[in-house]
Amino acid sequence: MGPANFSRRNFLKAAGAVSAMAAVHGFPAELLAYERRMARFPEKTDLILLTSRPPQLETPLSYFKEMITPNEALFVRWHIANVPTSVDVNEWRLKVGGNTEKELALSIDDLKKFEKVTFTAVIQCSGNGRSLFEPRVAGGQWKDGAMGNVTWTGARLKDVLNSAGLKTGTVDVSFNGLDKPPLPTVPDFVKSLPVDNALEEDIIVAYEMNGKPLTMLNGFPARLIVPGWYATYWVKSLSDITVLSKPFEGFWVKSAYRIPDTDCGCVPPGTSPKKTIPINRMTTRSLIIDPSASSELTLNKPATIMGVAFSGGRGIQDVIVSVDGGKRWEETRLGEDEGKYSWRQFFYEWRPTKPGKYTLMARATDTIGESQPYEGLWNPAGFLRNKVEKTEVIVK
Amino acid sequence: MKKFIILLIILTIAGFAYAQSKEAAHSIVLPAVKTDLAAGEGMDTTEKYCSICHSLDYITMQPKFPKATWTVEVNKMIKVMGAPIPEADAKVIIDYLAAQYGTGG
Repeated sequence: MGPANFSRRNFLKAAGAVSAMAAVHGFPAELLAYERRMARFPEKTDLILLTSRPPQLETPLSYFKEMITPNEALFVRWHIANVPTSVDVNEWRLKVGGNTEKELALSIDDLKKFEKVTFTAVIQCSGNGRSLFEPRVAGGQWKDGAMGNVTWTGARLKDVLNSAGLKTGTVDVSFNGLDKPPLPTVPDFVKSLPVDNALEEDIIVAYEMNGKPLTMLNGFPARLIVPGWYATYWVKSLSDITVLSKPFEGFWVKSAYRIPDTDCGCVPPGTSPKKTIPINRMTTRSLIIDPSASSELTLNKPATIMGVAFSGGRGIQDVIVSVDGGKRWEETRLGEDEGKYSWRQFFYEWRPTKPGKYTLMARATDTIGESQPYEGLWNPAGFLRNKVEKTEVIVK
Repeated sequence: MKKFIILLIILTIAGFAYAQSKEAAHSIVLPAVKTDLAAGEGMDTTEKYCSICHSLDYITMQPKFPKATWTVEVNKMIKVMGAPIPEADAKVIIDYLAAQYGTGG
């Protein structure tokens, strides 16, 4: 594996896609200081390279035409430089301890002895869509590809915790993985959940993605799955679960991955929030995948508008689309229901009868009525993006 | 001869399978990716300190920011993320980032 993987053809393709996206999202392409490269990392296909150390790789949108995102195409996001590159499953143990009746050191076979749970869930980075914020914010400059829909298999976290036995006075549960900071002064990536959330039925320690072992870069040999919540909690290459009788004080919960403590999780653009809380459930979101931005469609020829919609673990009630920039809206047909954590595909049969430029939009509502704003909600870290996006196409 | 080649192929495949079953560790090798910073005063200092903890594409992927934002980012790396950058060098890095990746503001 070397720099030879970055072919000029792929580079140009990505750069072109970025320019097209820039035009659609209303800011000139030259403001994008960075042109996106493609890269092929181990066990992954060609993905959009954000950073190489630690690796941050984004999924090209075309993969989202499928209900399930293939393992090799799923996005990658690590926080600190020393990511695990070699794991001996015979040696690996998941240690569980702290405020517990007993300490556990579970092998992968031990983990597989717990009741096996399988479900499909959207995994989405907190900063998905960050590069589309206006004014722009610092951080991983993701477009919309820091997400995917994957079928996960594993053991319930609740069952693991109960087999260790929680002592009274438990407040938080923290999760550490095999990734290590490059210097002792750099905060290790450790996350926590309040104990009530940690004991929820559907959180699992997953050892399979889409029926296969996890890829190394997606958290081999096991990772936490917190369906409905942003992926920052889905700790990869899990090694330690610590039950705490005091609130968790680690950097990555206490200082990072925080959102304004306001109803919208937003503040006026360019301002700082007075009070923040840890990011948690995903906001309701939809995205038109096909046709892609800047596509050329043929006059009077049927064209199916297809996309995906998901929420913070509450399923999708309906998705409406507009082909005229939001003046009129039409109901769509929803695809298979793969459960409340999965995304739902939506389809709208369209036959453009006039030539010209069209602005396609989609807006989803979840089963408790949470929907998407028409204008972007801003926060300083570039989280929670879920505005109704615009896809410009041309009919000829 | 043909039979011999087929036998050789079978033995090779069997050999690989055996080696894999013996190899308990699941390992990957991350590709080396080179990112060039824009040439300018302070580039070497920037490269020297920033690349201790992360690849330089962390810089090049950012949009152009005003100097105030680059100042906040560099100070965050020192105070929050634990980067060992002496004050004088931090100033060089901020000036470099503002000059090469700045809005001019």
